Amino acid sequence: MKKSFFVRLFTVIFLPVFILCGCGTDEKSNVSADARYNGNFNGETIKILSGSENKELSDILNRCADKTGVTIEMTYQGSVDIMHTLQSGAEEYDAVWPASSLWISLGDTSHIVKYNSSVYTTPVVFGIRKSLAENLGFVGKEVSVIDILDAIRNGKLSFCMTSATQSNSGAGAYIGFLYALLGKTDTLTESDLESETLKRDISQLLSGIDRSSGSSDWLKDMFLAGDFDAMVNYECLIIDTNQELVSQGKEPLYVVYPADGLNIADSPLCYVDHGNTKKQEAFQAVQKYLLSEDVQNEIQKTGRRTGFENVSEENSNIFNKDWGIDTQRILSPITMPAEKVLTKALNLYQTEFRKPSLNIYCLDFSGSMTGEGNAQLEKAMAQILIQENAENNMLQAGRNEVNIVITFSGDIRNIYTAENSDAESLEYLYEQISSENPHGGTNMYVAVKKGMEILSEYENLKDYTPAIILMSDGASDTISESECTDYYNKLGLDIPVFSIMFGNADSTQLDKLAELTNARVFDGRTDLVSAFKTVKGYN
Amino acid sequence: MKTKLIGIAVLLAVIFAGGGYYFYRSQTAIQTLNGYLGGEKIGLFEDEEVQDILRSKYHLKLNYSRAGSLDMVTADFTDRDYLFPSSQTALEYYNDTYGKSVADEIIFNTPIVLYSHKIVADALVNKGIITQTDGVYYADMQKLTECILNKTQWSELGLPELYGTVTVDTTDPVRSNSGNMFAVLLAVTLNGGETIDINSVDKVLPELKEIFSQLGYMETSSSDLFSQFLRMGAGAKPIIAGYENQLIEYAEEQPESYAKIKDDIVIIYPSPALWSTHIYIALDEEGKAGIEALSDNKIQEIAWKKHGFRTDGCDIASAGFSGIPEQINKVIHMPDYETMKKIIDSLK
Repeated sequence: MKKSFFVRLFTVIFLPVFILCGCGTDEKSNVSADARYNGNFNGETIKILSGSENKELSDILNRCADKTGVTIEMTYQGSVDIMHTLQSGAEEYDAVWPASSLWISLGDTSHIVKYNSSVYTTPVVFGIRKSLAENLGFVGKEVSVIDILDAIRNGKLSFCMTSATQSNSGAGAYIGFLYALLGKTDTLTESDLESETLKRDISQLLSGIDRSSGSSDWLKDMFLAGDFDAMVNYECLIIDTNQELVSQGKEPLYVVYPADGLNIADSPLCYVDHGNTKKQEAFQAVQKYLLSEDVQNEIQKTGRRTGFENVSEENSNIFNKDWGIDTQRILSPITMPAEKVLTKALNLYQTEFRKPSLNIYCLDFSGSMTGEGNAQLEKAMAQILIQENAENNMLQAGRNEVNIVITFSGDIRNIYTAENSDAESLEYLYEQISSENPHGGTNMYVAVKKGMEILSEYENLKDYTPAIILMSDGASDTISESECTDYYNKLGLDIPVFSIMFGNADSTQLDKLAELTNARVFDGRTDLVSAFKTVKGYN
Repeated sequence: MKTKLIGIAVLLAVIFAGGGYYFYRSQTAIQTLNGYLGGEKIGLFEDEEVQDILRSKYHLKLNYSRAGSLDMVTADFTDRDYLFPSSQTALEYYNDTYGKSVADEIIFNTPIVLYSHKIVADALVNKGIITQTDGVYYADMQKLTECILNKTQWSELGLPELYGTVTVDTTDPVRSNSGNMFAVLLAVTLNGGETIDINSVDKVLPELKEIFSQLGYMETSSSDLFSQFLRMGAGAKPIIAGYENQLIEYAEEQPESYAKIKDDIVIIYPSPALWSTHIYIALDEEGKAGIEALSDNKIQEIAWKKHGFRTDGCDIASAGFSGIPEQINKVIHMPDYETMKKIIDSLK
């Protein structure tokens, strides 16, 4: 009796105090998270900006939210974007979790990052179909980048890799290639990058890339859905891929650690200090949970290297020796170059060295785009086509890149082709787009088919990475759908149709196209500009 | 029943009065100081025992943002009350830029050391680059510097498992103190072991620049460099420059992890040696309160025992830590600011 009286008394007096303390800390946010793990009702929420390789940790994050009571919202971005977000203050995030500390050091110019701690490490490796790796003589011996380049030169190997200017795994591998091709054992310098031999060799090596991507995790999905020989990715994502391949009864990939150009991701999880003590405590609870011994062991079970010792006996079957995975080996990575050299190397990748892109933009100018939609589209295209803007995000057009725009509504309206990849030609493309006014219905299939027709006319399509980038804001007329898909199937070319969903677009229509062409759909409904920037990072 | 109710009322009154007083006190009496802190001292500032003493005895709360010792001097001082870098150079840099500080004080010291892994240390011992005396490893800076300058491959030292040439990873010497002080050690070595001044510095700069250009991308915080050293193994960071306190603190704070890595991690004292001076600089009148508080006997004791900073009268022998010498010998002095400025500018 007494007890219940006191309980009630305390509830009446103190509960409102707790509730008052609880709210007021939840500020509004205009970022929509990619994944959300619910903690306690009324508990704190932390927003983490993370590399896509952490998607595989969803079960662990789910339990983390459960145990700590902290709701975790994950937004996935490439490392370069994370660096940019940090540089501009990262107001919308409470924490960042890129693949490598490098991006924190380059991004934290205003000293807002705290409690930096590596959650796991994983090297960037080549995963090559095992029988092919055997044919190439890569099994059971040291393999150098030069050996890989030879295989590419002889037409025996091609691979998939993320974009070096968008994603950490691509950047790490690319810098490793530069070291190896230059035969450098000391640090890369600016003058090294001027070498004509290097330019020839690295362009040759990168010409072996079948497909690129802005995200390591999606590269894995794309690899599994397609028919490719090899990919450059994190060891942990190759393990993941192999588990999937084996379960499908397919041949696994064999892991090659390029001895002369190795890179390791250290996955630092850091707090971004905006002066909110509650968020800080919530972050620390999450970090402590992830670094606790049991959870580190769970993370190791996902193919990530944790702790200070080698992979435990218990998990050795996950780091399968038959797949070439070697946990006994001392991983000796190359030194990343100084910031200035790194920036120059990445810009050269974007503008000179990579295989040129062949982009066909299919843009919706139906009546529903009138007003805000059209304004946003113009803004987005300005970010990609005006080269000054593009350079800020390392999205500038490369040498020999081809850009074509097809505008459509109920039918094809206009086709504009940039004469070459220089700034004026691309600006011309932008001006043409700006001068169009939306009206009429929507038939995206007719535009996509036209894009495929244009691509099929390129005899040397292999020398480009082609892509169709479709933006649509409404349900399309399906009258030309089967004509379009039949044409694609008959063509037998690997042309991804990346699409950006806008306005009232029908996601099932776009999903079908993405599935057909092994591509993906980007949601531009909340932010069309950033969706276009992301999709450009894929090609 | 009535007395019971009165009792409850009295109890509640006491609770509210007590709560109200506490609330009043915490609102009025606790002063918050904001400043920039070198990464190696974060453990101390996050120490709850230290925070309790600061709060109860000095009514202070020390908020910090992490910044390199030299970086912090040029950072934004809006709403900042103090800087807490790790060297005299930072103070002189400050005085040179803004005029004499409001107040400053050396709080404690820690020597610059090298950290390495067992297999690397063994190879270096074999080649006579490091030696062991009374259980303490000492690095012959002359020999080590020669290896770096000659671009000796690790394989030449009998370590084919390691890729590349012999380097000592440091923080950016232009922005952070541990890298900056290691640059001084190299400069003195290049000068034949003689202290350098404005006249002798010019002749060592070309080689010094060459050594640092080999390091490529450098961390800006010694705490990040140290944790990467621990995490990523001998292949990634064979040797780094850091502070003595970092390993002592790690062993105190994470005894279980330390037990696992203990046999692999080697602490090496460079010869000649150099002290890092952790100096508190008040940016305004409020900031001055930090000096007295951090000089508190109990805080000084915690700074040594739990965080490894050498304070007045700290008892090295009783720490129960092997490989740490009681005395640091052959200590050289930091060059004057004019000379340091020249070194920093040349490495920019």
